[in-house]
Amino acid sequence: MRRILYTALGLAAVGSVGLLLFAWSGLYSVAASRGHWPMVEWVLEFGMENSVETHAPNVTPPRLDDPDLIRLGAGHFLFGCAECHGAPGTEVGLVVRGMLPPPPDLSRRVSAWTDQELFWIVKNGIKYTGMPAWPTLDRDDEVWALIAFLRALPSLDQAAYRALAYGDVPAEPQSGEGVAMSGGASRALGACARCHGAGDRPPLSALVPRLHGQPAEMLVEALRAFAAGERRSGIMEPLAAALSRRAAEEVATYYAGLAPLPPTSTVQAESIGRLAAEGDAAAEIPACISCHDRQALAIYPRLAAQSARYLENRLRVLWYAQPRTPTQSIMVPIARRLSEQQIRDLSAYFAGLPPEQR
Amino acid sequence: MTGLQSMFAPMGPEAALIADLAAVLFVGAAVVLTIVVAALWFAMLGSSAARRGLAAERAVIVGGIVFPIVALAALLAYGLWVMRASVASPAASNAMRIEVTGEQWWWRVAYRDGDGRRIESANEIRIPVGRDVVLTLRSADVIHSFWVPSLAGKVDMIPGRVNTLKIVAKQPGVYRGQCAEYCGGAHALMALEVVALPEAEFASWLAAEGAQATDAAGETERQGRELFLAAGCGACHAIRGTRADGRIGPDLTRVGARRQIAAATLPATRENLARFIVDGQHLKPGNGMPPFRVFSAEELSAVVAYLASLK
Amino acid sequence: MTRAATATGEYPNDLPRPEGELERLEAAWELPKGWRIVTAVNNTVIGYFYIATAFGFFVLAGILALLMRTQLAVPDNTFLGQETYNQIFTMHGTVMMFLFAVPAVEAMGVLLLPQMLGARDLPFPRLGAFAFWAYLIGGLVFFCTLFVGLAPSGGWFMYPPLTSERFSPGVGADFWLLGIGFIEISAIAGAIEIIVGVLRTRAPGMTLDRMPIFAWTMLVFAGMVVFAFPAVILATILLELERAFDWPFFIAERGGDPLLWQHLFWFFGHPEVYIIFLPAAGMVSMIVPAMAQTSMVGHRLIVVALIATGFFSFGLWVHHMFTTGLPALSLGFFSAASMAVSVPSGLQVFAWIATIAAGRLRLTAASLFVLGFLFIFTLGGLTGVMVAMVPFDWQAHDTYFVVAHFHYVLVGGMVFPLLCAFYYWAPAFSRRPLSERMGKSAFWLIFIGFNVAFFPMHISGLIGMPRRVYSYPAGLGWDLPNLISTVGAFIVAAGILVVLADFLRNLRPTLTKSAGDVWKGGTLEWLENHTYGARSVPHVDSREPLWTHPRMSEDVKKGRYYLPGTMTGGRETIVTSPVEAVPQYLMRLPGPGWPHLIAAVFTAAFFLLLTVKAVALALACGGIVIAAMIAWMWSSDPASAGEADIGAGISLPTYVAGPTHPSWWAMVVVLLVAGALYLSYVFGYLYLWTVSPATWPTTPISMPSWPVTCLIVSGVALAAATRLLGSSRLLFALALACGIGALLVGLALDAWTQWQSGLRPSASGYAAMVYANAVLQAQIAGVVTAMGAFTLARLVAGRLDADRRVVFDNLALLWGYAIGEAALGLLLTHGFPRVAG
Repeated sequence: MRRILYTALGLAAVGSVGLLLFAWSGLYSVAASRGHWPMVEWVLEFGMENSVETHAPNVTPPRLDDPDLIRLGAGHFLFGCAECHGAPGTEVGLVVRGMLPPPPDLSRRVSAWTDQELFWIVKNGIKYTGMPAWPTLDRDDEVWALIAFLRALPSLDQAAYRALAYGDVPAEPQSGEGVAMSGGASRALGACARCHGAGDRPPLSALVPRLHGQPAEMLVEALRAFAAGERRSGIMEPLAAALSRRAAEEVATYYAGLAPLPPTSTVQAESIGRLAAEGDAAAEIPACISCHDRQALAIYPRLAAQSARYLENRLRVLWYAQPRTPTQSIMVPIARRLSEQQIRDLSAYFAGLPPEQR
Repeated sequence: MTGLQSMFAPMGPEAALIADLAAVLFVGAAVVLTIVVAALWFAMLGSSAARRGLAAERAVIVGGIVFPIVALAALLAYGLWVMRASVASPAASNAMRIEVTGEQWWWRVAYRDGDGRRIESANEIRIPVGRDVVLTLRSADVIHSFWVPSLAGKVDMIPGRVNTLKIVAKQPGVYRGQCAEYCGGAHALMALEVVALPEAEFASWLAAEGAQATDAAGETERQGRELFLAAGCGACHAIRGTRADGRIGPDLTRVGARRQIAAATLPATRENLARFIVDGQHLKPGNGMPPFRVFSAEELSAVVAYLASLK
Repeated sequence: MTRAATATGEYPNDLPRPEGELERLEAAWELPKGWRIVTAVNNTVIGYFYIATAFGFFVLAGILALLMRTQLAVPDNTFLGQETYNQIFTMHGTVMMFLFAVPAVEAMGVLLLPQMLGARDLPFPRLGAFAFWAYLIGGLVFFCTLFVGLAPSGGWFMYPPLTSERFSPGVGADFWLLGIGFIEISAIAGAIEIIVGVLRTRAPGMTLDRMPIFAWTMLVFAGMVVFAFPAVILATILLELERAFDWPFFIAERGGDPLLWQHLFWFFGHPEVYIIFLPAAGMVSMIVPAMAQTSMVGHRLIVVALIATGFFSFGLWVHHMFTTGLPALSLGFFSAASMAVSVPSGLQVFAWIATIAAGRLRLTAASLFVLGFLFIFTLGGLTGVMVAMVPFDWQAHDTYFVVAHFHYVLVGGMVFPLLCAFYYWAPAFSRRPLSERMGKSAFWLIFIGFNVAFFPMHISGLIGMPRRVYSYPAGLGWDLPNLISTVGAFIVAAGILVVLADFLRNLRPTLTKSAGDVWKGGTLEWLENHTYGARSVPHVDSREPLWTHPRMSEDVKKGRYYLPGTMTGGRETIVTSPVEAVPQYLMRLPGPGWPHLIAAVFTAAFFLLLTVKAVALALACGGIVIAAMIAWMWSSDPASAGEADIGAGISLPTYVAGPTHPSWWAMVVVLLVAGALYLSYVFGYLYLWTVSPATWPTTPISMPSWPVTCLIVSGVALAAATRLLGSSRLLFALALACGIGALLVGLALDAWTQWQSGLRPSASGYAAMVYANAVLQAQIAGVVTAMGAFTLARLVAGRLDADRRVVFDNLALLWGYAIGEAALGLLLTHGFPRVAG
């Protein structure tokens, strides 16, 4: 017994020294151009698949056929994923084809994974493959939006995909000058209006906030916080980081100047109106409107006629958030005092409030 | 051994009775301890006669049963008399009633004026000298204990119950007190001050206290008031006469006149007010007020100027 | 019956002893080798582990105290943050009380009692080992929560509503409730073993009157644990139900009451102080006579005083609640009771002084600790009388005065005697005695340091400093006393370091070659000891047999007394009658094994995983626990091995059933625990009614006729099963299954009826109490069901018949109790609303 043990230990020691020597010799080629030996490829793939299977969380996904979730996912897919994985009607770029392993065509591959496994991959990325992790680990809700989209992806043709991902924003520049100045379609990728709407157009998904008529100061602060990583979002952080300070101010002014959109719901419960207007002293919930009506500081958002689903989601995100910005510091402790029912009711209440009223 | 918060500096009859009782107890304890140590000494090193006496079972019965029973019975009678004299004596008919509610980690104080109107304040209780004051003690969250040693013993504030405590201050002065029941996080920072004023001074103070907040005097104060309201401070704090009517935090109608802030843990200077607004979570971790870092430096000093002007 | 004529020079057994007798005895009691020592179950090994662990927790909690004293050395200090400090003071109190004090005295009992009583081991070695391992693992994990910031911060007294889900979200409070609740259960397991051990395994002839005072104190200790701990276990169950499922027992707005917790907690918490103090006083009562070389003066008075203390201590819990605004009348009553309890303690102090006067006290390290104990404990008792004076307490309550008071009582009354005991008993269990020189220096450091640390706290409390504050402002006169206290704390720490160094240098635990009777003690633990205790079990005819019979040590070693070897080839001990100590039965004891250890590890895992809400894993661990317990129990209750001759012509049976069997006594103690738990519940139910009668129903639900019928059926089945065991296996099995089934159905029907009536547990304090009844009944019924299944399995395996029936006897006791408790529950939840409404 003891001899077997020592022999095993000895072999293990020799093996690890050998491996180290091999790595040190530099004989192994890390070239992506040469591909893997089939055996190595099989082992890597096998290991990856099992790793994903083991680590995938045991959670119940939200309803993945939810159109709002799919549209939000589509909006991000276009910006964050299509470049490498391609999309209906768009081939994978030539540069990407040189990657090892080559990014798979998702419309064919996603069916092999469960929702939880896909979620884990999208959230955490995969080592040694070039697949990045989600820009923040704090926003599972966003990851699920992408999973919802991936589930819808195999059934999408080019037109349906474009309608989802671009909304009314033209996918390609209209003029030759446009092509000459910006090159192909790339400008549309980062367009705010794809997701948030513009003019009198509402956002593409009810999970996306309506920016129409919000105070410019609040919008600038939000973009700053996204860019600085203080406000967490895998979708907004990279976009905001790409905007200059001046561009942020311009776009904020643009949205601030738009006429607020009409309310989206008609729920007007008396009791919840009182909670919003007066708060609940016993539960230490302050009145929402003290900070969110027209008279409040311009750094605070206005809530009247905001999308209910967005508000709910935002409150839940705040519930778990580590406060980093001045306004989060105020709102996070308050959000944590709200019950799930109150979150739903208050969101519906504000969604139904005509913007001119407050 | 006197201090701002000492039971040896009694300023009211309740506290004085207890201080007398304490003196009796200390002397008695010293005597008993001396007896025990002496007995031990003799048991080890005494003459053989002394040791024979101590070694008898009778010594055990006398020293260990008879003596304690007699001494303790006398003491118990005295203690019960003190208890009757302090709690059971009814408050005078002109007694003043003040409601005090313990909250994590401050004290909500409410007076009634002549018309029975409720006048709210916080963390500072003003009382007229020489008059019986009956405190109605409640809790809004967890168990606290109201304790101002110079005036009386402590009484707990328990959710769902109402306790009362009668206090009288014999002379004008400031008496410090502190929450005595562990109430979580910042329990150590939950103090209060009782300010005893001569009767006439108290009456005029109460009349002023009940009035609407003083109007913002200068441009800065006005700007401060608008910022106070726009930043949502009014959702938690009330300032009578403005639309700030929150009931979650302390009433700030006369905050500028208070000696201390943050439940008598910081002198009420402008600097401390500003620090508390921006960084209250470091000064008093876990308190209910989120940090308000949304103001610029000028805005903050305007808000503070406004608060300081509320006298 | 006994032909014990030792006085006339005759011995129970003749010399020379047969060849190989000693070798067989040693083989039967051989310890597992190497790391397998963890499977050992005999009291000496478990006793060592137990004491080492308890002392380890003492050192850890002491380090926490040093951290606190460092923080408080100067005003406005920022050494520890607010939350850290709150966690540390909570852990300091909790660890000192639950992980040091109670286990330490229990450990002393486990280690000393069998030797002192002339038994080979405690009657249920595996239960003792289980209790120890559960405590070690649970305690370590509980302590480690401090390092990951998950420690509770609600104080060791855990008052709701501060500890409710609303004001203490997160798992810290749950760690306290589940972790400590489970360690309390381990303490109860130890108490059961100690009660049965003291009453049933004394040496022949050691009547209750000849029993050493330490054994008396351990008996009173264990009895108090049995009645006091259930109250706090109930309280922790209720609070955990409130936290996990929103059953509002302590929420005032919904008909609960925060004071209910305080009543239950202090009904445990005050006796707890005496639970800790009495065994320590018992040790002193052993050491003083040995050091003065004379019998204890007033032996019987002391025994009466011990029992009186036990009784009184249950009648003064309200003195922790003098400031809650209770009516003056009840304050007066509890004030008087609190003073009364100081009389028996005073009596003991004078009895020790008398004993010192009667003999000549040798000034050893142990004696110094006794003298230090007398001074400090007396002072603590005097301040105790002060805080028992209601008006004085209104000022002193929850201030540093009280901190000073109870440290004088607990450190003086427990830590000093414990250190004294280490110095006194070390030679009985170690190759070398501890160093007198180091012991004396340690004493002076600890004694001086203690007074420097704690005397000023009287003053800082009276000049206004409340307890449990992480910081204080300058200028209130608190600065100097606090600085002095901190200096004192570090002097104490230095003294403890000296003790630890002495342990390292001189403590060499041994089970064969101990230094022996260096103090010339008079009691049986000073016989030459092995894993099996003494070679033969002496006949005892006085309180200090070794003084009465100077040659006893030699004779015992030669095997002249009872049971000089092993009669059945395994481990065994003599079971005697509870009062007169007449030999009745030769009990066979189990040896080393894994099942109890596995059960302990996974019981700890079960509770801890439940705390972090890993329910699936917890249930898996629960399954392992059940499997391990079945494996453990299966080998218990071996069949009769005929009669055994232990000497002096006494032939003892090796199988008995009914009240002669120690496990019958253990089961009765379990029933007392369960009964105390249920009575605490009845108190809680009625108490909530007095607080908020409005939440009680005005129209009670329909009469529980079906549940009552089920209980009657179950009772009839129990009676039938008892008779059928000897005659028909099939009918017996049928009666058993139907009877337990009827019990379960009856309880389920009752809960279902309440549910159908629309009552939901989160609705009010009343509703929560109704369902708490269901929970408590389900606990007992669950155990009855498990034992029933086990009994049937034994029947099928042919390990249960008319003679070999201990398993069924124990089930019958619990089953009968369960029917009674269920009936009481129906009476309370259905009858009381009718009477009150």
